[in-house]
Amino acid sequence: MPKGYLLIDRCNLMPIRPAIVAVGRTRFGEHYEKEPEKLIEEAWLKASMEANLERKDLEACYLSDYFLPITNKLGLEEGFLSELTELHVPMEVTRSFSSALSNACNAIQAGRYSVVLVGGIEKMTDRWDKIRDDLMLLEDPWSYYAGCTPEANHELMLRAYIKKYDLNGEKLETLNTALAQISVKNHLHGTKNEYAQYQKKITVEQVLNARKEAHRPLGLYDYAPISDGAAILILTSEEAARKITNKPVYVLGVSSATDYLTYPAREDMTHFLASEISMKNALKTAGKNLRDIQLVELYDQSTVMEMVSLEDMGFCKRGTAWHSIYESCQNYKGYYEIDGNKLFVNMSGGLKADGNPLGATGGAQIFEVFRQLRKEACERQVKPDTELKYGCVLELEGFGTKGYVYVLGRE
Amino acid sequence: MKMSSEPIERRVSYLGDRLRCNRCLICGKEYFEIRDYCGNCGRKSFGKMVNTDLFYEKGKLELCTLINEPTNKFTKLGSYVYGTVSFHDCRIRVPGRLTDRTGVCNEEVDFSSLEGRDVVPRFRRRYSVDKCDVIPTISLAFTFADEYYPHQEYKIIKPKKEYDLPGIVGYGVYTSRFRIKEGNIERSVPFIDEDSITAAVEAGKLALIHSGIDNSHVGKIYVGSESNPYAVKPIASKVAQVLKLGEENEDVQGVDAIDTEFACKAATSMFKDAASLVNYPESNIKYAMVIGTDNSQAAPRDCPGGELDLFVGYGAAAFIFGKQDVIAEIEGWYSCTSDTPDFWRRDGEPYPMHGGRFTGDPAYFKHIRMSSKKLMERLNLQIGDVDYFVAHQPNVQFPVRIAKELGFKEEQYAPMLQVAKFGNTYSGASPVGLAAVLDIAKPDDRILVASYGSGAGSDAYSLITTSQVLDKRHRQKMTIAYQAQNPFLEHVDYTTYRRLKLGM
Repeated sequence: MPKGYLLIDRCNLMPIRPAIVAVGRTRFGEHYEKEPEKLIEEAWLKASMEANLERKDLEACYLSDYFLPITNKLGLEEGFLSELTELHVPMEVTRSFSSALSNACNAIQAGRYSVVLVGGIEKMTDRWDKIRDDLMLLEDPWSYYAGCTPEANHELMLRAYIKKYDLNGEKLETLNTALAQISVKNHLHGTKNEYAQYQKKITVEQVLNARKEAHRPLGLYDYAPISDGAAILILTSEEAARKITNKPVYVLGVSSATDYLTYPAREDMTHFLASEISMKNALKTAGKNLRDIQLVELYDQSTVMEMVSLEDMGFCKRGTAWHSIYESCQNYKGYYEIDGNKLFVNMSGGLKADGNPLGATGGAQIFEVFRQLRKEACERQVKPDTELKYGCVLELEGFGTKGYVYVLGRE
Repeated sequence: MKMSSEPIERRVSYLGDRLRCNRCLICGKEYFEIRDYCGNCGRKSFGKMVNTDLFYEKGKLELCTLINEPTNKFTKLGSYVYGTVSFHDCRIRVPGRLTDRTGVCNEEVDFSSLEGRDVVPRFRRRYSVDKCDVIPTISLAFTFADEYYPHQEYKIIKPKKEYDLPGIVGYGVYTSRFRIKEGNIERSVPFIDEDSITAAVEAGKLALIHSGIDNSHVGKIYVGSESNPYAVKPIASKVAQVLKLGEENEDVQGVDAIDTEFACKAATSMFKDAASLVNYPESNIKYAMVIGTDNSQAAPRDCPGGELDLFVGYGAAAFIFGKQDVIAEIEGWYSCTSDTPDFWRRDGEPYPMHGGRFTGDPAYFKHIRMSSKKLMERLNLQIGDVDYFVAHQPNVQFPVRIAKELGFKEEQYAPMLQVAKFGNTYSGASPVGLAAVLDIAKPDDRILVASYGSGAGSDAYSLITTSQVLDKRHRQKMTIAYQAQNPFLEHVDYTTYRRLKLGM
């Protein structure tokens, strides 16, 4: 790893554990008919009912949206939320749900508040005709000026990966199949998620054909969609949590890291340094080992991202994830088998099937791990060999410009 | 509604047009974009960061993919290959798109056959904007170095000799690799991201490379054009900034820059001004650059003025004038002018109008005949004293007719005839003819150049080549012959030609 990052070496840096007591979300997808207010209200109503809380119980709000003022011309989000909730409490806005949650955790840990709302919203389909320009310009302006698209960076990452690990012939074919299998697997998971944008199965052939039609290394089924949606959670202090629920989910570890905006300027284009650092630090702050993690929600904006993230998070050795995925998916049993260990990945359907309304995406990832850890995931409930205790979430901003990892657990 | 931001545009083009990068003198780390200090070395590197322009260098295409669904501002490009380009043994990496490629959408692109190949930065329009906006440019567009546009090192060479008379010290002609062929005439067609501004920069770059002069010694740049995409805003300022002409202080170039307009003689008219300027001892100007550039305009064929559509070309020619290491001294000149409205374009109109038969005898022939004869009289020259005759070439017949009428033999005028290869490049037309002659001239050859500009006027010059015309020839890879008979030329049909010409 290059210089210039903080590697935490002390364990248990989170003596006060913020607790998630309730979650709520909308279905992701196209919501032409709904105002952004309606989406966030829907998510809030679900979470507040679960926690049996009222708006007045909230001491602060942390909202995230990537570019709602651009897409929906709403002005200052805080004001819009204040008007909606008729609250005048402190509110902060960040770009990703993980960033909002991280700020909320800091406040809870500092003892400043005991009950806060963390919400995320995005309504991208309202700006359908311009959304890819917006996304690309925010993601990496120099690449945009050179003609890059939001998809092209993923394809370059794949090219870089193939070259670095010298994959050709049969190996390359296996890699391409493995990437298709990721999409098939996530779509399969999506069929069991009532909130998922896509709740239909697809086949490896469909994924491969879409690539052929596009004349590109990755096709329609390799990419997460453009979505509308909202997600909310209620975060409290440990003490307040006990009064609200007997099944709180604790934020055991959280960490984030950053990387260069211009993707080609990064030293290694085959993976995301920000994910790697975040995961290492998050595990340390949680005092957990990699093998404690049984369930993970990865940020699969593309199938390549899911593959690479498995390596960045340390679950697979560099250059091997495609092989583990392929082996696991040849006869998919609901999890990846890596070195004899079961890892449940993107049970929500991932960004691919669940949807990717940027500011709300992280909320849906936390939602999934929350439900799984509380054994409330119905049909998609995972059943590891040992008791399910810990799950983690990776969320990225930009094209790996920022990474957040959360380690969540019931105890 | 106006949506662009001029300060942002200025910053992006300031860095991106030349591909400015920085290197730390302490640790050698390099950065694309300008930095005041190095990330490795911290504060001690303040003042120890040196600037380089990647614009003159050769890069390597490292990774690439196909883009067939571009973002909105790039849709006019259709499909293109996009990837990362490294410079200086991978110490620096930038994003880039391959330009000058048509029809990449429906073919299977074998990326591994493209990756690893050398590429050259090309100065192009960045993307489409509204007609009222500033035109964004960038050099994050690349073409393969082993195709039409080769990489040529720009090396500053210390001048060896000062001449008595001022003259041409270097030149460069740029035309695109696209052609339309109709009947016996082939014409150059810009790629969709090219225009008269980008051609002027490319020609100027080639002229600097050929002359080997220090770009900071250029004191004045003249750009003659009748197809500047702006009604108000000079092309010359862009050329000055991208080619770093004159001494650079902060972000301002110490050079005088001006655009000129007089139909097709906008550039040749300034040859004598440039030569006089460098000859004036108190001017402190060692070199002056003159560029004639045009994306020659013509209305569609079935519209008024559409007859021009059969002849218009695209390209630019740049000449650097000075007194040191001259390749062709200027012996004398004669210019004449009359108010003859044979060709014009009203403000706000996209295409020029044409006076039909009136553009012949009372316009082109009368003025060129006058300037050439008067100059020969003045210099007491006979037809036999002239080795090469160069005339403005709006079509194939006119230059041949005037040459014959003046008494020149085929071997004297044939080398200048380039219109059948490039079309009428307007302000660049007679300069392209001159460049074609300079490409093959021997020392002590006399060249008579007579331009013509509608409106109307003609400038005749007599040039005498020196021995340096041979000395510098190896630095000119992009000769007229190279560009005319290149295996990488791509021929397009009429519809594509009109689309490419309209630009982004």
